[in-house]
Amino acid sequence: MSATAPSVLRTTLATLLSHYRRHPGQLVMLLLGLWVASALWSGVQAINASARESYDRAEALFSADLDRITRRDGAALTLDDYLDLRRAGLPVSPIIEGELPLPNGKSDGERLTLIGIEPLTLPSGASLAQQDGDANALRDWLIPPYRMRVAPDTLEQVRTLNSLPPLEITPDLPPATLVTDIAAAARLLDMDRGITRLVIAPEHDVELPSAFVRTSPDALASPGQLADSFHLNLTAMGLLALVVGLFIVHAALGLALEQRLGLLRTLRALGVPARTLILALGLELLLMGSIGALLGIVSGVILAQLLLPDVAATLDSLYDTTVSDTLNLPWYYWLGGVAITLGGLFSAGASMLWRASRINVLGLGQAQAWRGRLRGQLRVQLLFGGVLLAGAGFLWWYLASTAGRQDLALGFTLVALLLLGAALCLPPLLAGLLGLLARYLPRRAALLQWGVADLQLQLPQLSLAMMALLLALSANLGVGSMVGGFRLTFLDWLDQRLLADLYVRPAAEQFEDLEAWLKERSEVATLLPARSTEAELIMNGKNAGPVALFGIAPKLILRDSWPLLDTQDGYGAAWRDLIAGAAFINEQLARRQGLAPGDRVQLQGPTGLVTLDIAAVYPDYGNPRGEITLPVARLAREFQAPSGTLGVVLAPTQDRERTLTRLQDALSARFRLADNDASLIDQQALKQLATEVFERTFTITRALNALTLGVAGLALLTTLLAQAEARRAQLAPLWAMGVSRGRLVRLQIGQLVMACLGTALLAIPLGLLLTGALVAVINVAAFGWRLPLHVFPAQIAMTVALAVVVAIVAALIPAWRLRRVPPRQLLQEFAAA
Amino acid sequence: MLQMTGITKTYPTPQGPLKVLDDVDLSLAAGESLALMGESGSGKSTLLHLAAGLDLPDKGSVHLGGQRLSALNETKRATLRRDQLGLVFQQFHLVPSLSVRNNLSLQARLAGREDDAWTEHLLTRLGLAEFAARYPEQLSGGQQQRLAIGRALAPKPRLLLADEPTGNLDEAAAAQVLALLQALIDESGCALLMVTHSAQVAAPMQRHLLLKRGKLMDKAL
Repeated sequence: MSATAPSVLRTTLATLLSHYRRHPGQLVMLLLGLWVASALWSGVQAINASARESYDRAEALFSADLDRITRRDGAALTLDDYLDLRRAGLPVSPIIEGELPLPNGKSDGERLTLIGIEPLTLPSGASLAQQDGDANALRDWLIPPYRMRVAPDTLEQVRTLNSLPPLEITPDLPPATLVTDIAAAARLLDMDRGITRLVIAPEHDVELPSAFVRTSPDALASPGQLADSFHLNLTAMGLLALVVGLFIVHAALGLALEQRLGLLRTLRALGVPARTLILALGLELLLMGSIGALLGIVSGVILAQLLLPDVAATLDSLYDTTVSDTLNLPWYYWLGGVAITLGGLFSAGASMLWRASRINVLGLGQAQAWRGRLRGQLRVQLLFGGVLLAGAGFLWWYLASTAGRQDLALGFTLVALLLLGAALCLPPLLAGLLGLLARYLPRRAALLQWGVADLQLQLPQLSLAMMALLLALSANLGVGSMVGGFRLTFLDWLDQRLLADLYVRPAAEQFEDLEAWLKERSEVATLLPARSTEAELIMNGKNAGPVALFGIAPKLILRDSWPLLDTQDGYGAAWRDLIAGAAFINEQLARRQGLAPGDRVQLQGPTGLVTLDIAAVYPDYGNPRGEITLPVARLAREFQAPSGTLGVVLAPTQDRERTLTRLQDALSARFRLADNDASLIDQQALKQLATEVFERTFTITRALNALTLGVAGLALLTTLLAQAEARRAQLAPLWAMGVSRGRLVRLQIGQLVMACLGTALLAIPLGLLLTGALVAVINVAAFGWRLPLHVFPAQIAMTVALAVVVAIVAALIPAWRLRRVPPRQLLQEFAAA
Repeated sequence: MLQMTGITKTYPTPQGPLKVLDDVDLSLAAGESLALMGESGSGKSTLLHLAAGLDLPDKGSVHLGGQRLSALNETKRATLRRDQLGLVFQQFHLVPSLSVRNNLSLQARLAGREDDAWTEHLLTRLGLAEFAARYPEQLSGGQQQRLAIGRALAPKPRLLLADEPTGNLDEAAAAQVLALLQALIDESGCALLMVTHSAQVAAPMQRHLLLKRGKLMDKAL
């Protein structure tokens, strides 16, 4: 009678799994790695998926299908404008939009967006319309008490408001958004005759009166662009955590395989076919992966639920995008989480399966024979790592030579090649370093020599945890330097660009009076008027889409501080050219269109085609759009730009705050301006807001970064714990030879600190390269502008200190256990050794 | 039971090819016991590995239970090994994470022939019944070797291949293990091919062969 294949498989699998009963530490390490990797990845993906679902709802509602009509002079639209256009036969529809404050909002100033539509004139098929054609429903919608549409995840907030029309649940609506009839909305928003915008179906190709401008949805700056970059940032950090977690898994699997090589050979000798053995190992992976994925996804969702309100608040304040603060996870999120965990596990376990499939059954009794091949493996690893680094170098050169058309995917490939290449090179480099140390250590330092030799022996087991630590340390240094550099540059740039002490945005009809009044004031040193509008960019005779136009007064104070990245004949000449009729362009436009000082662009304005020479390129951090800067007078004249803001620079004074407050009060009294309606903006408040927004943007990045470092420390700790028993068998002979347990403990900690310091030494150049790649490649591809590279010595010192701290913390538990092990046990281990 | 004809096996070495076995013929009938003797490096273990189908000869043929091993693929050779052979290794190769009982029944379970009564009988005969719930590392060297023998006999194989089964034991323990092995072989009726360099260990076997410089010759004790 012969055994059936399932029974052979079952017995083989049970025998393989019995290993973990004897080595529960390895099982814990394996599951911990999977759990951490999967939890961080799933958490980040849950946030992204939930936010994306909110964006999709918002995009479907707002940006997809209707052209907008605004006044050319920038003044607010009125009911009369709407009536004039309708009388002229134009099929426009009015929309009003405002915000309803929530009395019991979770955070200060929490508001709902209220949109009022006019269903009878709204173009049919528009997302906002959404009427089912039922006459009764339309009647209910049009007459009191009206109807109001709301998404299910906004219901809880809506219930805190009184006197709202009866609610209709509409799952497709974006979060924190209410849609009702224009009359109901006007009452709720207290907007009597005002209209926020007029819309028209894109297929109505009609000529507008010259006082109005039509903007297609394509021409609007994509509100999702910056938010997408934010999510990309989160995804990249999640991916890094996944990779670091998979390093733990790889280390655990490698250790489990090494300790089971003898068992695998015995099973083969006892008649288990190679295929059955591989299948059993694969099933073992699947079992572990399923448990890890389940734990990870559940924890990831909990993590996301904890983080989402903060992320939603950040996205709201940063990018003006409304994200629901409750998780809405699509089906593919769950499937994706399991797939990525299992995929990661099998990629981490592939080398184990490959090695197991190549086991020589005649190698019975040579379970440790693979150690002899270590040197060869290190050479191959160095070669492979070198190839990846060379690939990264080539890609960097390629991306640098195609400036302006950079691909974000290629940028991330560059970072991945850089990190993976360096990680592969780490073990051979550490081995080389230890070899050098062993050669030059004095003969009398016997214990130290033993320590170095022993560390060389430990390298195969430690290398994966060290690689994880290298990735975490370099990511910490790289991202830390990038954020620090960004902060420095951004604040510097804010100081340069926000020269005025106060910004005033008066209504168009007040502008001249207000300007004249300010000019008379003794406390005002100078005025810096600015305007903005947009025009069609013409490149090589073809329309290249809309571009923002910004008008500035090229006064001396502005010329002295306005930063320029590139000029044709120097800083002074660029300003002279601007005054003489040339233009400046922002970095985003320069990179996207491949433009440089000395080139020429054409703009289609309301007065015809305008040709401009480019005199300089300036940095414009945080702006997703291409922009051209001209003297403000020319912008008003040739592009009919509406009146914009007036920057007020105060004369030198002893008490700036008092002078400013006096001026604000005077402006409010005379021109009925108030700082709460955004017509009066204090420069300090603006800077503070910008800085807050900046800090919040990188809070999550920093948190994930720290978490990744924690995971790497965990990898090191679990590696040490998993092999602690085997290590004691190595240390027992030393103890028997008269080395006290206290010295053995110090020796163990010293060994790990040495290995971590070596890793930190490589992490420093890698981290700096990573910063370079982030600011010069990823940032340019994601945002369209490049940051200067800053190196922070304190950050480097911190990296080294972190490595030492991680080493000490990771070595502490095994060292403590060694110190407490009874002499009887050490004696037994000595006999076994 | 086992028929090896014209077996030649050569290994590459840094000094050039080394012929370990040179045109060797060997046969073993059912229930027969044979001691294969020779110095270290004479090729005894290689011959045992070829008999077990763990490796294939460069020349010649091995027939086990009427089947030509070189005609079988790796999976079929493994199945044949599992169903018809018992292997006893000099280094025991017990599974450290399985209890004594589970170690003993491992191959029987793999072969789908677990027999509780036979397992209990083996545990008692091998003096391991009271240690059945322990793990191999908690046994002495002699007990571990007895367990390895028990594992090989548990599936009731038709041929037992033993490689220096007492090589790691002192004289008294070796004699005890050997007597037990002989008794169990008699009880089970399987054939035995044992590799040893000890004349004392080889003495109880029915036939004795000597392997010298790759050639097989009769050995008189």
